Amino acid sequence: MKPLIMLMLGTLALAQDWTSYGKNDLGWRYSELDQINTRTVARLMPQWMYQTNTPGKNETTPLVFDGMMYVTGPSNNAWALDAVTGRPIWSYKKALPANVNLCCGQVNRGFARRGNTLYKVNLEGALVALDAKSGTQLWESTLEDYKKGYSATSAPLVVKNLVVTGMAGAEYGTRGFIDAYDADTGKRAWRVYTVAAAGEPDGASWFGDSWKRGGGSTWITGTYDPALNLIYWGTGNPGPDMDGEVRRGDNLYTCSLIAIDADTGKIKWHFQFTPHDVHDWDAVGDPVLTDLVIEGRPVKAVIQANRNGFFYALDRTNGKVLLTKAYTRVTWADGIGPDGRPVPIAGQDPTEEGNRTCPGMGGGHNWQATAYSPQTGLFYFTSTERCMLFYKTKQEFKEGQWYQASTIGRDEPGNGRVDAIDPKTGKLAWYFETVTSPTGGVLATAGGLVFVGDAEGYLIALDAKSGKPVWRFQTGGTIIAPPISYALNGRQYIAVAAGQTMITFSLPRL
Amino acid sequence: MRVFAKTPISDVGWAISRQPPSGRLLFTVTQSLLEAGCRLNSPPHILASIFLVATLCSAQDAAESGRLTFRILCAPCHGIHANGGRGPDLTLGTYSAGDQDADLYRVISRGVPGTEMAAYAGRVSDDEIRQMVAYIRSVGHAQTAIKGDIGAGEQIFWNKGGCGQCHRVGTKGSSLGPDLTRVGRQRSIAYLTASLLKPDADVTPGYATITVVTRDGKKIVGVERNFDNFSAQFVDLSGKYYSFLREDVTSMTREPRSLMPSTYGKMLSESEVNDLLAYLNSLRGTR
Repeated sequence: MKPLIMLMLGTLALAQDWTSYGKNDLGWRYSELDQINTRTVARLMPQWMYQTNTPGKNETTPLVFDGMMYVTGPSNNAWALDAVTGRPIWSYKKALPANVNLCCGQVNRGFARRGNTLYKVNLEGALVALDAKSGTQLWESTLEDYKKGYSATSAPLVVKNLVVTGMAGAEYGTRGFIDAYDADTGKRAWRVYTVAAAGEPDGASWFGDSWKRGGGSTWITGTYDPALNLIYWGTGNPGPDMDGEVRRGDNLYTCSLIAIDADTGKIKWHFQFTPHDVHDWDAVGDPVLTDLVIEGRPVKAVIQANRNGFFYALDRTNGKVLLTKAYTRVTWADGIGPDGRPVPIAGQDPTEEGNRTCPGMGGGHNWQATAYSPQTGLFYFTSTERCMLFYKTKQEFKEGQWYQASTIGRDEPGNGRVDAIDPKTGKLAWYFETVTSPTGGVLATAGGLVFVGDAEGYLIALDAKSGKPVWRFQTGGTIIAPPISYALNGRQYIAVAAGQTMITFSLPRL
Repeated sequence: MRVFAKTPISDVGWAISRQPPSGRLLFTVTQSLLEAGCRLNSPPHILASIFLVATLCSAQDAAESGRLTFRILCAPCHGIHANGGRGPDLTLGTYSAGDQDADLYRVISRGVPGTEMAAYAGRVSDDEIRQMVAYIRSVGHAQTAIKGDIGAGEQIFWNKGGCGQCHRVGTKGSSLGPDLTRVGRQRSIAYLTASLLKPDADVTPGYATITVVTRDGKKIVGVERNFDNFSAQFVDLSGKYYSFLREDVTSMTREPRSLMPSTYGKMLSESEVNDLLAYLNSLRGTR
């Protein structure tokens, strides 16, 4: 009896807290809480707001446990807030060295947690461990030299006694990797390069010594299957982005999903979505782990809405493709072959005078958090319908400098959707159309709801079965971050970073 | 030829842009000779002054190097041919932060505080900035002289054209359409001509056309003030402001077309169009 009660209490605590980037190891972003549901959501109202007074883009997934909310912000800032009142308990700030090269702003996407320790990356390519009670720094480890173009923005992933982290900087001639550090000491346990060097098994997929600046950054948190002991991590574009001539070959393992043995740091398998990418289509969409029945056959799957415009379900034991389906307008490939390789359409590469391709540089779906609901069996993500002019330019490589060899045409207005896909078939169950390109990530809950923020500042609740909007709130700031949910003292909360503000919502106290 | 590039680029970069307008004529005349001369593998005996060729070839090289850097760093905002986009058109030969080479150098190097123009000092070398200045100079040309009369254009703007009913210049006019107080600095004659004769060609972001059909079947059209997933706010041609929630109406759409009449080509004579363009081009704001 006693172990069962403890298990139940444990499950309850798990349901109430939000303790990792993807909510669970599998990356579902699904909250088991259902106090806020399709019937009660109309009464959902703000409870508190915390003004961070820190300019920049807020992309954080806050963590909540032991009554505290832990929020990372732009420019190496972080805060611990009382989760009921929003009052600040401690704050953290690390001065940013001058001339840290960043493609896309001084962003950070959140903490990881192990026991009473929090882990976050700083922009200059450092990983720090903080005491959750006080914010005191316990250790700091350098991933790689920022002067060479390396940086870090994503939330780490805790796997057993390891803190696993990716890096950023594929636009600066870096060589991507995924690192694991001892959670107690900060000592590096292993490193996996996402670009195969000359002489290594897949090194021949790079022309000459182009692998040395091959990109393949790892800027979105991966997922973990404890049963298989495999870590799944998406990799970014090869560098330079749009001049593929200097890096002829497939450019492994860029634009790929790689499965890594958590103990040894060895690659178990890889799957490349876009061989020899020239459109900047990073494969960093959340790799979501779920068991499906596809055509009557039960499979352990990993699913992803890839930036190249296709939805993929792969067998997560071996990386073989199970099914693929375009979810947005695609002009560069005539589908995906049975071996998982795209069937390319000729004449889609960037040119000196510009070449139009769909989807655009931002892709069909970019990095924004996705959600999977075991209640509906649907996979939720935001998507963009847009084409772009891609230009190619010869560019000489200089260490630590912007190395994109390209640009894109004038930004055209794009619109988008929140999509709900049945991962067993790849078919669209419903969509909610948005007037501009979506910016926010997604949360699914046991209350039959999907929460998502938009570019114009609305936090929106959609019916998870139909996509019908059932509630909204204008926050006053663009929402890029994904919402989360937690419960304290018997009340369920929804929280999201909007503009420079952290906001939580709950039902009125009865 | 690469050998010529050894001439200090900085000197050349300044020299070429210091040419007075008449000097530009000389430059144009020698352009075709140079284009051949710079590509020769043996010394260009046919040309009288080796020094002149060396200098101008280097200037061409500088501008070409600058062009490549520009395509990568600047084109995302200023357009692949420097003709503007999210950032200003740089082919106008006139720049809001100053028209001297030193001004261009300063803006690239330090950025423009309070705008999206970033500082590039430290990210690129001094030489690369000078090359970009050389490139911008090579595409920035004095615009075709406008035949029109500014004073007559002003009269047309405020009277026959009725432009002031929707546009503002300084403190005069209406704010329905884009403010034109500084438009002569912001847009080329070619762009202004297109905007006048074919208003739908490129609609300034934030000035799209909103159409709402109410539950009782009434259609209301106006210029966008806000448009989002749940509401629309707009101003109709009479200046009346509307705000609707999506759930309260039958339909709500935003189209990238302009509410400006597309009839100016017929309504105005060619010389009146030129007068109007001359007036618009003369609008340089208060700076």
